[in-house]
Amino acid sequence: MKFYFWLAYRLLFSRQILFGGSAPLSFFGLVLGVAALVASMAVMSGYEETLKNAMTDVTGDMQIVRRGKLVDDWDAFSKKAKEIEPRIQAMARFGYAEAVIARKGQVSGVLFQGVELSDLNKVLKIQHRVKSGEFHLDTDHIVVGQGLAKKFDIKVGEKIYLVVPLSTPFDSSGFRRQSKEFIVSGIMDFGKNEWNDRLVLGDLKALQILTEIGNRYTGAFVKLGNRNDSANAATRLSEKLGSSFSIMDWNDVNRNLFEAVKIERAVIFFVVLIIVIVAAFNISSTLYVFIRQKYSDIAILKTLGLSPRKIRHVFLGQGLIVGFGGVLLGFLIGFLLCLGFMLLQNHYALISGSVYKIDRIEVQIRWLDLFVIASSSVFICLIATLSPAIRGSQLEVIEGLKNG
Amino acid sequence: MDNQLAPLIAVHQLTKNYQTGASDLPVLRGVSFDIQSGEAVCLLGASGAGKSTLLQILGTLDRPTSGEVLYRGQNLFKLDDESLADFRNQKMGFVFQFHHLIQELTALENVMLPALIANEEKESSREKALSWLQFMGLSERHNHYPHQLSGGELQRVAIARALIKNPEVLFADEPTGNLDSENSKKIQELFFELRKKLGLTLIVVTHDLQFSNLFTRVFNVKDGRLA
Repeated sequence: MKFYFWLAYRLLFSRQILFGGSAPLSFFGLVLGVAALVASMAVMSGYEETLKNAMTDVTGDMQIVRRGKLVDDWDAFSKKAKEIEPRIQAMARFGYAEAVIARKGQVSGVLFQGVELSDLNKVLKIQHRVKSGEFHLDTDHIVVGQGLAKKFDIKVGEKIYLVVPLSTPFDSSGFRRQSKEFIVSGIMDFGKNEWNDRLVLGDLKALQILTEIGNRYTGAFVKLGNRNDSANAATRLSEKLGSSFSIMDWNDVNRNLFEAVKIERAVIFFVVLIIVIVAAFNISSTLYVFIRQKYSDIAILKTLGLSPRKIRHVFLGQGLIVGFGGVLLGFLIGFLLCLGFMLLQNHYALISGSVYKIDRIEVQIRWLDLFVIASSSVFICLIATLSPAIRGSQLEVIEGLKNG
Repeated sequence: MDNQLAPLIAVHQLTKNYQTGASDLPVLRGVSFDIQSGEAVCLLGASGAGKSTLLQILGTLDRPTSGEVLYRGQNLFKLDDESLADFRNQKMGFVFQFHHLIQELTALENVMLPALIANEEKESSREKALSWLQFMGLSERHNHYPHQLSGGELQRVAIARALIKNPEVLFADEPTGNLDSENSKKIQELFFELRKKLGLTLIVVTHDLQFSNLFTRVFNVKDGRLA
């Protein structure tokens, strides 16, 4: 087999092939196709991963929320949940309330979310999302999303008023307002645009005081050993805890979006793969011409004892060399495209946050993607070489020697 | 028949027709002869007489329309393509009017080819090829590509390539047809030196009457028959 690759390689790198017109262009087409596949899959994977990370960083792998009323016995609740689902590593109580932010004559609706500080770092990975200031929460300090900060021109250390409407026990249609002044300790990139524009994060205690709910809370953020177990864990908890609890994993919150990303990944893969297929068939036509030019060499190889089957091996070897060469060079250019995309993101808004929920993605190159791209590209090249290889093996020795 | 006692090559009623449009063009019309091991046979004749076709069929490069070629009693054309290719690689060497060296390979690599095709180790193939090139007086030129060699040198590389597998029969089709008289003479002498040294059976097609005088047997091919 080594000999066939050696001969295939030596015949391939002839002047006729290297400087013979269409061959380098055909090969470049293959390289570009592979590079486009690598870059597009990396961007799609990156988008999916960035969104997943935003979800699990800010809301944990799962959320358990009591329907209708608040939870008050934390020890019993957390013990029960961990008994049902032993894969739970940690839980953090949280509560939320619709609130209004008032500042410099402007008002806007926000979601004020309070998290139990002692458990926060065990469940959420939020501290690295600080864009300016620090992640410091207590009964007087909060952090806000960067969209909200921009809209209200909020700087770190400044004060804002949060106003919460509370129902009155005597009149169900009326409400009274409860407000508190908070110091903004940090501006956050929560990952999703709607959170950046609306979320205010604070201490659970601060929320409980503001909304006068005592020690009660809305539910808990849950951290699992592996976030990919969340769908299974959510089903299990849902069955055991009953209908009074709503369980949502990170996938549930954006199920449609994640489904769409999966479908788009498959569609983009096959659309871009067409470039590889076209390039591979250009290579096929180049090989046909090459075989015509190498008529005499094929004849002499047969004369020297290379059987038609072995001639086919030589040409298929060329297909493999072209395929692997195209894949390696395509990977290199694909990686450079990914790097370029990341650099451009620093200067230009390449992704519209209002459309895609996030405005910046981390490009992610997955081994599985690379394997699928490499194997499909090499396979297509092999198929494209098959026909010229058969043609080459069928050439009559006598005709070839006359052509020499 | 005992294979050792059988002639090296026995040709029985060999015919070859080529299709030209609707009709057949007969090139060989029932040729029969035997060749013994170690003979030097010359196929002589005018252009189009059928001598090259005969040589190609004897060398298994083409199949006859009818008749048989027995090699030590074995009917060669009953072998499949794979076995026939192996047989050619092991038993036969070929030299043509044009050298037919592969341009992308060096002289050494061209000579190594038959050994590499036979799955011989690269190092031993290299050593054998180098010793043949040395015998041909081309040891200094082994790393040169065909376009860097003269006509006489190219033909000597082609002869080295034909001999690396120690064939029993050396076929040559107008081996000096493309050379000047000085190189022609050298190549002719080389053929007979090799025959003596290796005990080769020579089957050579030529137009050159002077060259044909050196052979032990001369077959005059005329209109597809032996005259």
